[in-house]
Order: sequence, then C-alpha cells, then structure tokens
Amino acid sequence: MRNLLNFLARYNNLIIFLLLEGFAIYLAVQGNDYHNIRLAKGMRLMTLGVEKNIAKTRTYFNLYSVNSKVAQENIDLRNHIEKMNRSADHLFISYTDSANNQQYTYTSAEVINNSTNRQKNFFTINKGKKQGIDVDMAVISPDGVAGIIVSSSENFSVGMSLLNIDFHLSARIKSNGYFGSVTWDGRDYRFAYLNEIPLHVLINKGDTVLTTGYSSIFPKGVLVGIIDSYEKAGGDFYKVKILLTTDFRKIDYVSIAGNLRRLEQTELEKPYK
Amino acid sequence: MINSIIRYTVIFVILIFLQVLLFNNIQFSGFINPYVYVMLILILPVEIPSWLLLIICFFSGLTVDLFNGTPGIHTSATVFSGFIRPYILRMISPRDGYEAGAVPSMVIYGFRWFLLYSGVMIFAHHFVLFYMEVFRFAEFFATLLRVILSTIFSTVFILLAEYYRRGR
Repeated sequence: MRNLLNFLARYNNLIIFLLLEGFAIYLAVQGNDYHNIRLAKGMRLMTLGVEKNIAKTRTYFNLYSVNSKVAQENIDLRNHIEKMNRSADHLFISYTDSANNQQYTYTSAEVINNSTNRQKNFFTINKGKKQGIDVDMAVISPDGVAGIIVSSSENFSVGMSLLNIDFHLSARIKSNGYFGSVTWDGRDYRFAYLNEIPLHVLINKGDTVLTTGYSSIFPKGVLVGIIDSYEKAGGDFYKVKILLTTDFRKIDYVSIAGNLRRLEQTELEKPYK
Repeated sequence: MINSIIRYTVIFVILIFLQVLLFNNIQFSGFINPYVYVMLILILPVEIPSWLLLIICFFSGLTVDLFNGTPGIHTSATVFSGFIRPYILRMISPRDGYEAGAVPSMVIYGFRWFLLYSGVMIFAHHFVLFYMEVFRFAEFFATLLRVILSTIFSTVFILLAEYYRRGR
C-alpha cells in the first residue's frame, strides 16, 4: 500500500497529465465524427450569446453589399417569374397539383458563426428543427454551394462547410458534362479541387463547374466555381483547380435546400451500394 | 496571492477575447493561424505546482475549444504544453537557477532566453494542435509547414505583447 502511495506521489504529475490528455483526446475523437457532433452542438449553445452579438455587428457592417445583392436577386427572380408566366401561357399548361412537382423546399437563413481558417470548418445558422431544417440538407449561398447541414437543434443548425477536408461533392464541368468529386485541400479558402476527370477530356480555363444532383442532397445545376488551372495527378486523371464562386469569408445569408424525395431515392439505391 | 490570481484572470480574459475576436479571423494563405492565448501558459509563475499548471492548461484549452467549436483539440495541445513546461524551464534555467517566486519574463531573463523559451513552448503546442486538427498523417509535411509558420507568427505576437507588458 505504501509503495502504491509512493508511486502515486512520485508520478502524480504524469498521471494527471495522462488523465487530462486522455479526456481531451476522447473529446476530440468523439466530436470530430462527421455525423456525431452532438457534443459540439451542446458546447456551441453555451457560447451562442457571444457569437450572436459578434454576428450582429458583422451583419451591420455588411449591410451595403447585402442590400445590393438582394436587389440584384430580386431582379433575377422577377425576370424568372416573367419568363415562366410567358412559357406557361404559350404552352397552355393547366396547374393541377403543384405539390407533386416540387422536389426541393427552400428556406432562407443567416449564418451566425463561421470559420475558414481551419482544416475542418463548420458554420452555424439561425434556423433549426422548428423551421424544418434537418441533417443532410444542402446549404447554398447566393453565389453557389456552401455546405451540408450535419446537425440541428430546435432553433439552430451546424453545417459542414465546403472548406472541410472531409467534404465531398459530386460536380460536373458544364461544357462537356464530365463529372468528378470536389474536395478541399485545407489550404486556400478560395480554391477547391475537382478530381477524377479523365485525361482525354478537353478542359478549358474559365469553364463553369456545377453540381450533378447524384448525391440526392444538392439540387442539380448549382454553381460551384470556375476552372482556374489543371494538372495531371498520378494515374490517368486530371486534378482541376476550381476558383470557388462563394466567398466563404463574406458568407452571410444562405438558403437551405431540402430534397423531399431524398428518402425514396436512398431507399431504392440501398441494395446496390 | 489573491492579487496575482486576479491579475492572471484579467490577462486570461483579455487573451481569450483577442484570440476569438481578432486572431481567429486572420487568414493568410491557409498556412498561418496564430494562437496567442498560449501566452497565459508561458507567463505563469515558475514554481507553480505542476498539477495546478495542468488543470489551468486544461480549462484554458477547453474555453478556447468552446468558442471555436472544436472539442478537445486545443485542450490536448494546452495540456501537453503544460506537461512539458517544467522540463523546458529546467533545461534552459539560468546559471544560478530561478529565484523564489520568479515569473518567466523578458525583463528578468533577457530577450534571447524568452525567445528560446516561448519558441520551444509554442512549437510544442502548435505541433500537437495542428496534427490533432487534421487527425491524419497524410500530407505530413504540409501540416509541418503550417506548424512552423504559425509558430513564427504566434511567437512574434507574443513577444510584442510581452514587450508591452514589460513597459507597464
């Protein structure tokens, strides 16, 4: 017994270190799991008050550019309505049950916390389960893809940013239709990479890259970025560098797209995966 | 005693606010993320009991983690740097040892001593921090480059802050 006490007294430093470090690593492993960031969510709630105030101040400073962007978006939408009305008139379509045609629901939300300078970036938005936000919904900024919702509480949700080394997105080059997966390498917040484009494909700098809609999370045809450069990456593929159209340093108002038929699609696909 | 507890608490709050409001927003080519809150661990008294040092490290790391939404990552880095601090202090101790109640500071032990001490400590902290963050050994050297560059920047900021503290 005395030996044991001596041992503990002698190595108390090491023992406390191992205990605390073990606990920290446990937290890290638990909290970094893609679909299991409940802990992070709980911790977020504690600091939410401060974050809300920071976000408020930031929103105020951004008002000018937000206003002009909203105005532009209004004009675009109005044009769109006009076009749709005209084509409807032209083709004599009668609206029967519009609910059957709708595949995606859109909700707007504000980003209240965001980071771009880590390897695994997440952001928090001010809408949650009460407003119909749920896990695996797509987050789209006015300029393009922003991320995926990974957890949601009553009034808030946490999204995994495209700027996360665990993020994967299926996208295609608009001009020739070849698709690959978009990932981020953890370096520059303005660039991402489109992988697995075969060598025989002709790539032009400045071509746009859009989402494919294969994953059943993102709607088809959402803007991802513009091709900046490309290089051969090992084997038989190009690694294409994309300039992201979304500026993650300024991201503010986003829309959340939920796929109403996602469950149906994933159920059907399940046996073949 | 009470006085110094209050003083360290104030320094702690200021450092956390600087870190959350200012330094977390610095973005420089994706390689440089200065973490200046480590300064708190640097300037605690030399003779602080090691268990108390470890616990202070644990809670300061946990606080930064709360604000960053990164459970455990900063905590593991601060606890590690708290663990190796006594060994580093012993290794670079001045010829006649530390006086009773000494505090690691630039004004007492000189610029070169403080640069060596803070450089080694910050490198150890950042090394654990960045490898815990990516949690993989792929692209080992890219991460190492981030560690080194961020260490340089954090050290510069902490030296500046130490210079300012010395002026008072």
